Amino acid sequence: MTTKSVRIRTAILAYLVVVISLIFFTLPMLWIFYTSFRTQASIFTGAVISPLKEYTLENFATILLVTDFPTYFRNSLVIATTVTLLSLFCSIIAAYGLSRFDIRGKNTLIVGIFATQMFPQVLLIIPMFLVLFSLGLIDKIIGVVLGQMILVLPFQVWMLKGYFDNLPPEIDEAARMDGCSIPRRLISVILPVAMPGIMVAAFFSFVVSWGDYLIASIICQTQRTATITLVAQRLGASLLVRWGQVAAACVLTIVPTIILFSFVQDRLVEGMTAGALGAE
Amino acid sequence: METNTKPYVAHRPPPRFVWKEKYTGYLMLIPAVAIIMLFTLYPLLDGLKMAFTNRNLLLPSYEYVGLSNFAELPSDEVFRLSLSHSIILTVTVVVLQFILGLILAWAMQQKLPGMGLFKSIIMASWVIPVAATVYMFRFMAQPDVGLVNIILRLLGLKHLARYWFGDPTAALPCIILLHLWRNVPFYGVAFLAAMQAIPRSYYEAAEIDGAGGWSKFRHITLPGIRNMIIVMVTIHVLWTFNNFDFIYLSTGGGPVNRTDVLPVYVYRLSWESYRLGYAASVGTVMVIILLIYFIIYLRIHERSGAAR
Repeated sequence: MTTKSVRIRTAILAYLVVVISLIFFTLPMLWIFYTSFRTQASIFTGAVISPLKEYTLENFATILLVTDFPTYFRNSLVIATTVTLLSLFCSIIAAYGLSRFDIRGKNTLIVGIFATQMFPQVLLIIPMFLVLFSLGLIDKIIGVVLGQMILVLPFQVWMLKGYFDNLPPEIDEAARMDGCSIPRRLISVILPVAMPGIMVAAFFSFVVSWGDYLIASIICQTQRTATITLVAQRLGASLLVRWGQVAAACVLTIVPTIILFSFVQDRLVEGMTAGALGAE
Repeated sequence: METNTKPYVAHRPPPRFVWKEKYTGYLMLIPAVAIIMLFTLYPLLDGLKMAFTNRNLLLPSYEYVGLSNFAELPSDEVFRLSLSHSIILTVTVVVLQFILGLILAWAMQQKLPGMGLFKSIIMASWVIPVAATVYMFRFMAQPDVGLVNIILRLLGLKHLARYWFGDPTAALPCIILLHLWRNVPFYGVAFLAAMQAIPRSYYEAAEIDGAGGWSKFRHITLPGIRNMIIVMVTIHVLWTFNNFDFIYLSTGGGPVNRTDVLPVYVYRLSWESYRLGYAASVGTVMVIILLIYFIIYLRIHERSGAAR
């Protein structure tokens, strides 16, 4: 009897936590989504629900057809995709090297790579700006890409190294016995097995690049390179009163990350903490 | 190639798995290490050096001024405020995230209908861009059209309605709320993953010994997820202390410096006042604080490692 009443009490408490969390963590997103379909007038009535005729697609039409939002969106897409591919290339081979080869001072190197995450990015961007300036890469897509690499690369190397460590060494040993070269081993033996971890790493770098404000704000000087996170500022303060359009821009910024998230959601934490648990 | 392989492998216990392809490992590190060196290590050293100059983005030349940037810091009111806000914010945010994350993990651990769906959507707040999060919350905090104030008016608390990010006392708590909104689900899901790795038999043995819920949590769950706690807390102390965009985009440090933190101050000094040298000296103080944290962390880590 008592165990049953304890179970019921536990279930009630757990559901209470779930309901409060659901409201707190999803309401802001649902509300902005809802607002993006409302007219300016209906938002300003201060009412939660409006008559049906006050819902509209006009906000999206304005954002996509009248403003320069599509340019920002395309820039972000190009930059985030490039960052993802480039950082995956660098981190996969580096993590494979760290995981499977004898490297002098390996542990120091791993700690060193991870420690670079510790330093304030606001300090790093000052000299970084000057480096990119002297290379002529300010306001260039490749400049933004290189700058954002430091946001993702150290963590990605650390995470994938942990992931590779957890793969049984027998699989690539067998391939080596068969006379496979190192690139062949990596591409046709390791990559297929490590795909879940690599997907998470790819997702991580795309989302970080897509959401980066700091680096973009100093390297993207004009619309040629400006990314989606700069929209609100660059489209002018006047936009801030038109909340319907802000909401539509927010929704369009959020949607790609949510779609990608739906592919990796179950593996996300497992993949991201592989480094933490594999390092033991 | 083979001739060079002898000495150091021999007297060292072989790692789990090693090939004789000696130089390949080093070659594979080159792209990643080169980028990290050029865009992290070099900027770091250059930034530390810049802290001793009067470099200004608008002036062509600069000179070394010794410690005079640092000498200016104690009398700089904004620096003192930013420093204390940074520390208050980091400590409060990480402690609250840790506690709420544990509660969330505990709830998700219960095998109840609908929990799978809940687990799969709860981390969405972590993946969306910070800029979008900030504008979502700024909209909700609007005095006339914001949801928070609409609800307050419905509850008859009209006198409380205000622009929350512009309120001197409410602004910092609002920033804390933003941090919690983004990261608590991540803590919850990470702690849950670690909890599920604890063998059931530990709990069964404890139940036979008559351990209650709290005692099981204290003596089995907490030690069982210890490594995950260390990783999550370490990452988030660094992340919160260095975080710039939440505050810059929501309050910009205002109202009247009430939410100024070190990263925002460094950014404003370098890109709005163009005082790169002085900005770098504030950044250097941040590095020193992080190093102190890192040393304390290593001490604790060593001691608890030795105790086990």
